[in-house]
Amino acid sequence: MDRLMARGVAIGYGGALIVRDLNLTIPTGKVTALVGPNGSGKSTVLKTLARILRPQAGEVILDGKAIHAQPTREVAKKLAILPQNPSAPEGLTVAELVAYGRFPHRRGLTLTPSDRRVITSVLELTGMDPFADRPVDALSGGQRQRAWIAMALAQETDILFLDEPTSFLDITYQLEILQLLRRLNRDHNRTIVMVVHDLNLASRYADHMVVLKSGRVVTEGAPQAVVCREVLRDVFGVEADIVADPRTGVPLCLPFDLAAGAGQASSHPAPSEGESLDVLEAAEGGVR
Amino acid sequence: MTIRSLWSDSSQSRTRRTRTVMIALVLLLVAALLVSLDTGYIRMSPVEVVRTFAGAGSTEDQLALYSFRLPRLFIAVLLGVGLAVSGCVLQGVSRNALADPGILGINAGAGLVVMLFTFLYPTNDAVPTWLLPCLACVGGGFAGWLTYALSYRHGGVSPVRLVLSGVAVAAGIDAAMIVLTVRLNPDRYQFVSEWLAGSILGSSWAFVLALLPWLLVLLPFVYSQAAVLNVLNLGEEMAAGLGIRVERARIRLLAGAVGLAAAAVAVGGAISFVGLIAPHLARRLVGSNHLALLPASALVGGLLVLVADTIGRTVLQPSEIPTGIVVAVVGAPYFLYLLAKSDS
Repeated sequence: MDRLMARGVAIGYGGALIVRDLNLTIPTGKVTALVGPNGSGKSTVLKTLARILRPQAGEVILDGKAIHAQPTREVAKKLAILPQNPSAPEGLTVAELVAYGRFPHRRGLTLTPSDRRVITSVLELTGMDPFADRPVDALSGGQRQRAWIAMALAQETDILFLDEPTSFLDITYQLEILQLLRRLNRDHNRTIVMVVHDLNLASRYADHMVVLKSGRVVTEGAPQAVVCREVLRDVFGVEADIVADPRTGVPLCLPFDLAAGAGQASSHPAPSEGESLDVLEAAEGGVR
Repeated sequence: MTIRSLWSDSSQSRTRRTRTVMIALVLLLVAALLVSLDTGYIRMSPVEVVRTFAGAGSTEDQLALYSFRLPRLFIAVLLGVGLAVSGCVLQGVSRNALADPGILGINAGAGLVVMLFTFLYPTNDAVPTWLLPCLACVGGGFAGWLTYALSYRHGGVSPVRLVLSGVAVAAGIDAAMIVLTVRLNPDRYQFVSEWLAGSILGSSWAFVLALLPWLLVLLPFVYSQAAVLNVLNLGEEMAAGLGIRVERARIRLLAGAVGLAAAAVAVGGAISFVGLIAPHLARRLVGSNHLALLPASALVGGLLVLVADTIGRTVLQPSEIPTGIVVAVVGAPYFLYLLAKSDS
């Protein structure tokens, strides 16, 4: 039974719609990757699915009910979202940050023994226990990202959203994060939805891929069904060879040229309306 | 609930450190109170102070201690606490290290209304003391609302816009105040300019009683929101994801901060920088967790104003330097330092 879906969702800011009539079902218990070129609206879709943005039309449904009609604190016990490049206040330690993840479960000012158990276990799970007392801003990029993931895990939700969890990380840390996410999915049965920039990483670590272009779902399915020459040409505007990964058989793409007529201006979506709006949104803080 | 468990969000070492800092701050505050009790226009030795408290002092000493010095010390501490906690909340809500009730126009708004009132009722006695914080709250609330409304865009408020609007609102209100002071008669002008410079005017128990209820209600309220402040500090998307209604939480907290600052300003005059410096120093001492940061800010703020007031009362005897000026001597360079640091 799939718990989360979008039904006829339209999303926009100040009149301009970025996403229209989006219908999407997130497979429960799987790793889903949202991919697409810059400005395709993947971040916007992610935030809307996680009820951070309110759609202008249609609804996001969680467990059979409109997500915006449910108390936001209850929703926070079911799904967690890690935005892109979150920033921690100066001097905040990893243990403190992770404790903040208990917010939706807390009543009083103090942590209960069960809060503490959860914090300890997510610190171990993410390998952050040796760094518990370190300030978050003094960590390396990969450690910092794991600290934030630990915080999101402390929320104890079945569904975890991540907006480009591997951006700005070295390849080592990218693999480290993605393997952690896969382990959370396989061993702890978490449903994971993430925006991923790198198609090959998405193909390797996702069970289900959703390809977006200009706010529409172009295609979705298993990586084998989605990653193909046509999609790369039509969506990303590149010609690529697709080869099977010698280890796992998942399709990997090797772009070799821009698609015919695919200059920056034409088939590559126009200087990304979505992206400039994302910037605007970050500056204006468009959260209800 | 023990003190240790109250700060238990932190790790063990942080908890220990926080406790040590708190105890040190309380001891410092007590020491400053004792020193401040001894100093002033009438100098008293600690022995005389103790004797007077025990009821065996001279009439003159008793008068000085009970009617002037004690209420003044209380006011100084309460004022510092109110402004510091207000600044701490504003910094948390706006995620901006430069936020402060002065910068967001709240102090100016509160001051304008208090000043208008003294303009309309030229005798001091005509205005009941308890009314001043209420009036200031209306003014501060209006200025705060104006700042908020001016920075509201697309269903939200960004920290940068909030501070920019605040600076504009404060500048506008300050201009209005200057226009008004020009029209005042000389001794009214004197009163207003002293108030603007941040001299602690109310040195009677009536002022203590006018300020105390505000703190007794608002400080526990703000402290009950410490966890919300913590989460808001992670950014609004994170806060929304953790189940906070971001706009509502912001308005709730801003209202608390306005109340604290306005009540303090009504009694103590426009003392700037306390709301800026105290939370900063406290953050250095105990970190960013508001469960520890709010009380630490309160203690640092109280201590800061008390020390500044004591210095202001003593260095140029028999005349007084307004407390706000003493604070500004430390505060202005600190503000510039923060500004320089935040640019990089």
